[in-house]
Amino acid sequence: MTNNRLVLVFAVAIVAVLVAVPLFGSIYVVFLANMLLMYAVLAVGLDILLGRAGQFAFAHTAFFGIGVYTTALINNHTGLPFVLTIPAGAAVAALVGVIIALPATRLRHLYLGLATFAFAEVAHWVFNNWESVTGGANGLRFQPQNTGFGTITNDLQAYPFVVVIAAFMIWITRNLERSQLGRRMEAIKESEAAAHASGISVTRTKAVAFTISAAYAGVAGGMYTLFQSYVHPDVLGFDTLVLILSMIVIGGLGTLPGVLIGVVLLGLMPEAMRGLKVMQELLYGVILIAFLMFMPRGVWGFFGPLIFSRSERKPAEDKP
Amino acid sequence: MWTLFIFQGLAGGLVTGSIYALIALSLVLVYKSTHVINFAGGEFVMIAAYLALFLLVAGGLTYWIAVPLCAAATFLLGAVFERVVLTRIQGRQRPGQNVLVAMVIATVGLTYVLKGIIRPFPYADEVRTLPPMLESGPIFIGNVVITRQDIAIFSIAVLSMVALFVFFQFTPLGRALRATADNPRAAALVGIPVRRMRSFVWGLAGALSAIAGILIAPKVLMTPDMGGLIILAFAAAIIGGFTNIPGVIVGGFLLGIVENIVGLTISTNAISVTPFVVIIAVLLFRPQGLFGGRAETKKV
Repeated sequence: MTNNRLVLVFAVAIVAVLVAVPLFGSIYVVFLANMLLMYAVLAVGLDILLGRAGQFAFAHTAFFGIGVYTTALINNHTGLPFVLTIPAGAAVAALVGVIIALPATRLRHLYLGLATFAFAEVAHWVFNNWESVTGGANGLRFQPQNTGFGTITNDLQAYPFVVVIAAFMIWITRNLERSQLGRRMEAIKESEAAAHASGISVTRTKAVAFTISAAYAGVAGGMYTLFQSYVHPDVLGFDTLVLILSMIVIGGLGTLPGVLIGVVLLGLMPEAMRGLKVMQELLYGVILIAFLMFMPRGVWGFFGPLIFSRSERKPAEDKP
Repeated sequence: MWTLFIFQGLAGGLVTGSIYALIALSLVLVYKSTHVINFAGGEFVMIAAYLALFLLVAGGLTYWIAVPLCAAATFLLGAVFERVVLTRIQGRQRPGQNVLVAMVIATVGLTYVLKGIIRPFPYADEVRTLPPMLESGPIFIGNVVITRQDIAIFSIAVLSMVALFVFFQFTPLGRALRATADNPRAAALVGIPVRRMRSFVWGLAGALSAIAGILIAPKVLMTPDMGGLIILAFAAAIIGGFTNIPGVIVGGFLLGIVENIVGLTISTNAISVTPFVVIIAVLLFRPQGLFGGRAETKKV
């Protein structure tokens, strides 16, 4: 089979699953699908920064939280339809992203990783302690999102909107990959000095990547408010960050299909381990380490080249 | 009143700070020789503390026997993790790819494994502390109160650091380790077994964490999640620029003191956010650490 046909087969399969979920799945399956689609936007957004621009940025849950709280609070206070509140949440997240990006572009590698991680933890502390706004450790309840024609009261009603938003964000990512900006980020990942020498503004490209990534997290935060009615700061903590990072690294850093595979794999893992209770934590760690040991370039890096014929891969990858 | 507050904070800060410095040292050793940030550093501390609890309470052993046993166990844990997991990930690296993220996440994976191992054990179901090391009567210096145990903790931590310094400065093995960290290729050329050195450093870091764990366990509440204190060590390491060892030690003490004074003057709620604020502040204004002379350029 040629590669184009293979892609078509996969696309049809994905659409079939997306259609089958609300038709045949229980309400819990629909909820899971909503979660996975939200994680897809989160992971793809973080991958722009981590996998494509090569920046160790671990502040994603902070922007996610900002998206959730902004969208939810605007909704609570004004009742505006979500086509307005979700972009608002994304905009606020992106704005904070810009503010963080300005100092962050001065840092590299480990230092950037620790600085952004620290920022995420400070944000988490603020979510937990700014009681008048976020409800603190009691969490925040928000009213059902308004579609403009009515309200979304359950997962099934939210599902089509969640699908459309996720598809839209993935489509944008696909275009971003092929854009000039995408190539500039790729160049920075390979070598900042070489990118600089060929006339790329390294600082600006990094700042833009930061902002875009934050906006994705903001959108994911908005998606969360579509099918949930309550947020607790624990959802926005270190464990979620590790989950998103694992999705990216286990799926395949810097590859769109890989990241999406990682989202499905790790998103469904807790379901598969449901009966194991106390062993879950241990097993999660073991699986994480095992994947990294045996497929350090991710599931996609491992299986992708086997499925798709060699001719369309970059020559550099042909040599083992 | 205020001066008493400050002095009490200083004294308490020096004690906890000495432990933070020890943990931060274990991070820096690992970072200098393998360039990996060890997110599982806190879980090494945790597992050593639980092992000590088990040996002391269930096994009825004394500290003199329990401490070396725990250190040996975590030495093994660190060395094996490096040899089995990290070496393997690094070995699969291809040119133009960076597996550092994968290695760091592997250490995060290790945190889940270690927590998962400890959680089902009978001692982990409720909050515990280690039995006191010494019959502690408090000592007064002026108006400042210090327990004998605190003095013991401080002394053991400082002694460990001195021992480490002597080891790295004056023993052949210590020098080989330093050479490996400075320039692995040159070290290999003069016949140092670089791979074994890397495993050894991870082991050493594990053993240091064990000492830190046993020192801190009588002072904090033990839970399987106590490894979160690693963030204090991160902050201490950042203060030292992650590579400057005296700077890291000073960072540990500084952090202990700052934390204590924040707790006494602002609020106990603000303690948990202090290390993160310190990390951000240092990285923004002096990314090379408080004591690094200039920004370090990396040789290829």
